[in-house]
Amino acid sequence: MSESKFKYQGVGREYQKKLLTAWNDRLQSAESEGRKVAYLFVPGNVAEFLRVFDFELVFPEVNALQCGVRKISGDYILKAEDVGYSPDVCGYVKNDIGMMLAGNVGPSGHKIPKPDLLLCTYCGCTTFIKWFEALAHYYDVPLVMLDIPYLRGSVIEETDRQYIVQQLKELIPLCEKMTGNKYDHDKLVEITKHAAEAEDLWVQILHSAKRKPSPFDSYFEAVFFMAPIYILRGLPECTDYYREAMKEIQERIEHGVGPIPEEKFRVVVEGPPPWPHFRSFWELLKRWGVCAVASSYSKVGGFWDHGFRHDPTRPLESIADYCLTCYTNQNLAMRTDLLKTYAEEYDADAILIHSVKSCRSFSVGQADMREQFIRKWDLPTLLVESDLADPRYFQIAQLRNRIDAFFESLEHKRLVHA
Amino acid sequence: MTFEEQIQHFRGIVDDVSFPTVKEWKSKHPGGKVVGMFPVYTPYELPHALGMLPVGLLGAGGKIEIDHADSRIQSFVCSIARSTLELGLTDRVKDFDAVYFTSICDVARNLSGIWKANFPHQLVEYIHFPQNMESPSAVHHYRGEMQRLLGNLEQLGGKKATADALVRSIEAFNHNRSLCWRLYEIRQLTPWKLSTYEAYILLRMGTLLPVEEHTHILEGIIPLVDSRETKQRDHTRVILEGSFCEQPPMELLQVIEEAGCYIVNDDLLLHSRWFTDPVPANGDPLLSLAESYIRGSVSSSVRHYGLRSRKQALMNKVRSGQADGVIFCAPKFCEPALLDYVLFKDELEKNGIPYLAFEYEEKMGVFESIRTQIEAFVESVMFFT
Amino acid sequence: MLVAGVDVGSTQTKAIILNENGETVARGMVNTGANVVKAAEKAFQLARQSAKLDEWDVAYIVGTGYGRYKVPFGDTQITEISCHARGAAYLFPNTRTILDIGGQDTKGIRTNDKGEVVDFCMNDKCAAGTGRFLAAAAEVMGISLDELGDVALRANPEQDGVLRITNVCTVFVETEIMNHLSKGRKAEQILAGVHQSIAARSVSLLRRVGLNPEITFTGGVSRNKGMVAALQEKMGMQINVGPDSQFIGAIGAALFALERAKARHEGEPTAKELQA
Repeated sequence: MSESKFKYQGVGREYQKKLLTAWNDRLQSAESEGRKVAYLFVPGNVAEFLRVFDFELVFPEVNALQCGVRKISGDYILKAEDVGYSPDVCGYVKNDIGMMLAGNVGPSGHKIPKPDLLLCTYCGCTTFIKWFEALAHYYDVPLVMLDIPYLRGSVIEETDRQYIVQQLKELIPLCEKMTGNKYDHDKLVEITKHAAEAEDLWVQILHSAKRKPSPFDSYFEAVFFMAPIYILRGLPECTDYYREAMKEIQERIEHGVGPIPEEKFRVVVEGPPPWPHFRSFWELLKRWGVCAVASSYSKVGGFWDHGFRHDPTRPLESIADYCLTCYTNQNLAMRTDLLKTYAEEYDADAILIHSVKSCRSFSVGQADMREQFIRKWDLPTLLVESDLADPRYFQIAQLRNRIDAFFESLEHKRLVHA
Repeated sequence: MTFEEQIQHFRGIVDDVSFPTVKEWKSKHPGGKVVGMFPVYTPYELPHALGMLPVGLLGAGGKIEIDHADSRIQSFVCSIARSTLELGLTDRVKDFDAVYFTSICDVARNLSGIWKANFPHQLVEYIHFPQNMESPSAVHHYRGEMQRLLGNLEQLGGKKATADALVRSIEAFNHNRSLCWRLYEIRQLTPWKLSTYEAYILLRMGTLLPVEEHTHILEGIIPLVDSRETKQRDHTRVILEGSFCEQPPMELLQVIEEAGCYIVNDDLLLHSRWFTDPVPANGDPLLSLAESYIRGSVSSSVRHYGLRSRKQALMNKVRSGQADGVIFCAPKFCEPALLDYVLFKDELEKNGIPYLAFEYEEKMGVFESIRTQIEAFVESVMFFT
Repeated sequence: MLVAGVDVGSTQTKAIILNENGETVARGMVNTGANVVKAAEKAFQLARQSAKLDEWDVAYIVGTGYGRYKVPFGDTQITEISCHARGAAYLFPNTRTILDIGGQDTKGIRTNDKGEVVDFCMNDKCAAGTGRFLAAAAEVMGISLDELGDVALRANPEQDGVLRITNVCTVFVETEIMNHLSKGRKAEQILAGVHQSIAARSVSLLRRVGLNPEITFTGGVSRNKGMVAALQEKMGMQINVGPDSQFIGAIGAALFALERAKARHEGEPTAKELQA
C-alpha cells in the first residue's frame, strides 16, 4: 500500500496545524493591535457570542492538553505544587498555573497573551470556577460568570434556557465597553450559520465510525479532529477544515482503510485521554486490534451527533441549549444511557472507561456506570485509571495487564462461542 | 443534667450512625417524611414548612467500614461522599424519604446521580445554586428551583405548602440561627467558657432534631454557658478554615485546643449560621430565601462570591476575631478547600498573618503528627510575632 | 507429553509441570528478586530437577504474572487473571469468585461455570491490603511472616477488645503499630487488627465483581491461616484454600499450555522432534 495513491491522508492533521498556527499568530499580535483577549473553557464555550465583538479566544484547557501531549506538563504541575497546590487537585489547573508562573509561554513556544476577560462557564465543572478565580487573582482582571445549570432531568427546561439567554444579554454592555464594538445581531446570525455548517460536517465524520470496519478512530483521532470545532467554530475556515477532513475520511472509506490494519474489537470510550502518555495508551489497545467507534470526550465541548445544531433563527437560545447539553453538564443517568446507546448504534463489543484522577466531574460515578453496564446490560466493560495531565499516574505495566486480561477473555469468548 | 452531662449525652447521639432521632421522630409522626441533605446552604425551610423533618447528612465519621461504596465511587474522593454512600448502601438511611444534593462541588453533584441509580425508592433531588451573583436573573432562577423542590415535596407529602407556613419556617430558623450566632459570640469574647468541641456538639444536634427542639436546647444551655466558671488560658487565638463540608473528627478539634489554641471562628457546620442577617419573613418567602442566598450568606469555598470577597471575608474573620493566626484544616481530596488554600495563604502572607495547613480524613484515629505541628505553630506565634 | 506454567510474581516466581492428564508432575519456587529473567529460569530449573526432567521434555510453556514477558523460554504469555481463573476452576470446580492477594497487588475475578473470566478488578495502585502490608507489620513487630497468622488467631477480643487499624498506607501503618505497642496493646490484638484491615479492603474490592460463592483464595497470602479466618469472618462464608493455592496461577498457565500443545500436536513438530 503506497502513500502516493492517497490524496487526502494526513489532511486532517496538516490543515489543522496551519489553521492553529494562524490562530496563534493572531494571538501574538492581539495586544499590539488593540484586540481584546477572552479566556474561556471548552465546555459551554460561547464562541459565537464573543466573536460578535471580535474577541480573540484563548482556551486554557487546550494549552494544558497540548502541554501534556508535548510532555511538559509534569514540570508545570510541580511548579504549581511548589506554590502550595495539593497533589490531589486537578492537573489541568496546576499545569496552567505552573505555565503562567513560568512566563506564560505556551506549548507551541509562543507567549500567550494575558486575558482582558475571563469568561468562566460553570458547565458541569466547579473546578472551572476555582481555576478562573485563581487566574483572576494572578492577573487581576475581571472574572465574569456564565452560570449553566446542570441538567437535572433529561430535557432542557425553559427556565434554564432563559436564565442563560438573560446572562448573555447582561454581558453585552461589558463586551461593548471592553472591545469598542457594538453588539450586532445580524453578525451573530452569520456566525451561527457558519457554526451549524461545520457541525454538520463534524457529525458526518463521527457517524462514519458506524461502518465496519470503521475508517476513523472516534477517540484517539477524534480528540485531535475535534479541536477546530471548539477553537474556530463560527469562522468560515472551520467549515473549510471539516470539508477537507471529510475528504480524508471518504478516501479511507473508498480504499477500505482505517486507523489500524485489522479491526478486531470495537469499543466505546468514556473519559479524557492520558495526554502525557497518549501514544503509549493507544499502542496498548492497537495490539489487540481495538478501534474506538464512539467516545464521550469528543462531546465535551458540544454534543451534536444526535441532532442538535446552533440555530441562526434563534441564535442566543441555541447557544444556551448548546451549553446545557455539553457532555459534562449531562447527569450521570444521561451519560450512562448515552454510552449504552453508542454501544448499540455503533455495534461495539465493549466499553472502555479511562478514569482520570484529576477530574471528579468525569470520574465520580464511572465505577457505578461500570456496575450498570455489566450487571444490567451484560456489556463487557473495562475500567482503567491514570490521569489526563499528570504523567506520574500512568503505570504502564498495570494498564497493560488490565487491557490484556480484558481483551484476552473477550477473544476467548469469541473463539469458544464461534 | 449538668452542662457536661448534656454534652456527653448529645455526643452519644451524634456518634450513632443509625439516626436514632430520625427513628424517634418517625414513631411520633406516623406518615411523616424525612429529607436528608448535605447541610451546606441547603434550604431547610422548605421541608419544614410541610411538616417534614430536614436532617443533615454528614457521612459516617469513620464509624463504619467503607465496604460497598468503593465499588461505586473512586478512592480519590473525600471520605464524606464515600461514607454517605456507604450509609445508603448499608440501609442506614432507608427511612429517609428524600435526599437532596447540591452544586457545592463536582463530587456532591455526581453523587446525586449515583444515589438516583442505586436508591430508586427515594426522591432524589439535585439543587442548582446560582453561581452568577452579578446577574439579576440568578435570584429568579433560584426561586424557580425552590418552587420545583417544593412542588415535589408536596407530591411526596400529599399536602400543599402555604406562604404562611413558609414564613413561619423562616422565622423558626432565623431564631435558631440567632442562638447559634450567640454561641459563636461567646466563643469569640470568652472562649474559655465554651470549647469548640462543646459548641460543635450543640450545633451538630441541630442537624438531627426538629428545629423547635434544638432551639429549646440552646435556649436552656446558653445561660448555663454564660455562667460557667472556667479558667482563662493564655491560648493562641486562631481561625479554622476549610471544614465546611466533611467534618473533622471531634477528637481533632480537641487536639487543636489542647495544643494551645482557642478557635475563635470557623466554618464548621455552616448550616447553622449561613445567613449573615435574618431572612426577611414577609412578602414572597421563596424570593426572600433566594435573595438571602445571593446577597446575604456567608462566604465559603463552595460557592463563587466574587473572589475578592472570599479573601476579604477571611481577613475580616481574622480581624473581628482578633485572631493570631489561621489554621487551614481541610479534608483530604477536597478540591474547593485545597484550591482556595493557595489564594487564601497568599492574602495572609501579604498581611503578615501566620498560618498552618494540614489535611484530615473523617476516619483518622491517630493525631500525634498534627498535635506536634500545632504545638510548633503555637510556639512560633507566641515567640516570634 | 509434558507442559509447564511459569508465574513470575512481584515477590515470588512459581513453576508447575503437568502431564497430558493435567496431573502435577513437578513444581518449583524462588524469590523473584531483582533479576526477573533469572528468577523465571531458576524456578523452572528447580521444577525440572525435582522430577529429573530435561528442558526438551517439556513441549509447551506459558509465562504469566507481571513478569510474563521476561520468560524468554516461554512459548506464549497469558495474563495471570486468566490463569488464576483457570487454575482455581481446576482445583475447585465450583469456584465463581477468586480473591488473589499477592505481594504487591490484589485481584478479584468473577468466573462462570466454565472457569472463564467474566469480570475482574484490581488494586494495583497501592500496596495497602496486599502481602506488602503484612510484611511491613511483620517487620515492625519482629515476627516472621510465617508466624503472623497464628499470632493473630490467638487474639482474644472479649478479653482485650477489638483494635482497629485505621491507616491505609503501608508505610504509615508501621507508625500506627508502634504507637499501639508503646501503649501496651498486645501483639495478638494488633495483628488481628491488621488482618481485619486487609480482609475489609479485600472484600470491598471483591464487591466490584460480586461475592458469588464459592470463593477461592489464591496467592502467597493464602497460606496465612489468620488471613483465611479474617476473610471468612468478613464474608460470612467459607472460602476455598488448599496446599497448592500459591501455585494456582502457574497451574492455570500450565493448563493453557496443555490446551495449546494439544492443538499444536495435531499439526506441527514439537521442540523434541525438531531436536532429533
